[in-house]
Amino acid sequence: MLSITVRMRNNRKSPIFIQKLGNDTMSIVSQVVDLPIRLISGGTDSVQELVNAENENDHLKQQVTSLSQTKARNNALEAENVQLKDALKLKETLTDYDIVDASVISRSPDTWSDLLIINKGSQAGLKKNMPVMSGKGVIGRIIEVDATSSKVELITSTDKSANRFSVEASSTNGKKVHGIISVYGKNQLAFTQVVDSSKLKKGTEVYTSGMGGNSPKGLLVGTVTKTTRDSFGLSDVVRIRPAGNLNDASVVSVIKRKVAD
Amino acid sequence: MTTVKRWYIGIALFLTMILDGSLAWAFQKIIFHPDFGAACWFSVVGITLIALRNDLNINNMWLALGIGILADMFYFGYLGVYTVAFPLLCFILQKLARFLPETFWFRLIICLVSYLFVSFYVFMMYIIVGTQQPTLSSFLLSIVPSWIVCMLIYFLSYTFWINLIDKYPFLENQRNYF
Repeated sequence: MLSITVRMRNNRKSPIFIQKLGNDTMSIVSQVVDLPIRLISGGTDSVQELVNAENENDHLKQQVTSLSQTKARNNALEAENVQLKDALKLKETLTDYDIVDASVISRSPDTWSDLLIINKGSQAGLKKNMPVMSGKGVIGRIIEVDATSSKVELITSTDKSANRFSVEASSTNGKKVHGIISVYGKNQLAFTQVVDSSKLKKGTEVYTSGMGGNSPKGLLVGTVTKTTRDSFGLSDVVRIRPAGNLNDASVVSVIKRKVAD
Repeated sequence: MTTVKRWYIGIALFLTMILDGSLAWAFQKIIFHPDFGAACWFSVVGITLIALRNDLNINNMWLALGIGILADMFYFGYLGVYTVAFPLLCFILQKLARFLPETFWFRLIICLVSYLFVSFYVFMMYIIVGTQQPTLSSFLLSIVPSWIVCMLIYFLSYTFWINLIDKYPFLENQRNYF
């Protein structure tokens, strides 16, 4: 029973009707149960945020001075990008995507499972395998979509059958280095199947490459922390610190890639 | 109204199962540590107390099965983890209940053992099916934090469950004594 239903979850685009109905009903009940919990935990968070407010304010003041200039440059580049795409008769590229914001309503209560349940589903246009972001970077992907809720498997999941993100990073010589994201220990990511990792410096940002067919290009996954050899000493393993908010995701953004697979 | 009363335990256990996920999310910063974690199962404590207090009611096992199916669908998207663990736990405890002392502290010990049992079952299922790859050390390191959470849940919910089970046993005719 277990293996059949696991296979069904992995292979089917959406669950069977009864499961969808049950999940949607439970997600509605879950949102009602969440209300008082959100009020209490929201209050605690507010106090914490108040304590951090002064430091954040100083940091943001420094950022504001350069923000208007960055914004103006961004607008100019965006306009130029549209013109160039028109000139080349390009429609949608790997970097084009839409964002759907959602709230986390529940989490698998056992110790090891890395599954979140969010309050948006197929009604909001979500589909299986769409990447999910929280904080600054990618935190996982959707593995099951119901009408009003979806399950998100975190990027740190040790599920061997889970899809992996194809990523890229800029090496010191300016060339792109491609690979995939694997899990290296609990809550640690690694950039594997890299051809030449020696040119990746500590602090290099790793982005999705859009080559996997599900994610758009340019979503931040994390930053390089260390390069080691694998247990057989044959290939490089580049350790990555995840950029996404993995341990405290309450609001997430689901990324809908515009270009077809 | 009498019909609804027969379902009070079922409704409470269903809400408890939902509450497990909500609390796991609300306290994720505390209970999901990279090296060790704790499980947040109000439902396991509920099923344990229901099985111990009302050990002759066979309907409780069906209730545990139903809640297990719903929990599997909602939290995993596949069947076979809670679907088996919950009714199995209920069945074993109902068979053992007549030999166990009916005291508050002894029931706490049983709850801790039940928590460990479900935890071990989930761990084994992950290893066998491969949907997660937890290590033995992570299982061992999770025992104490899980027991602490279990004790908190037990102290918080014991009176509630005992009163509910005594007043409204699951699917038992409420008119018997009138």
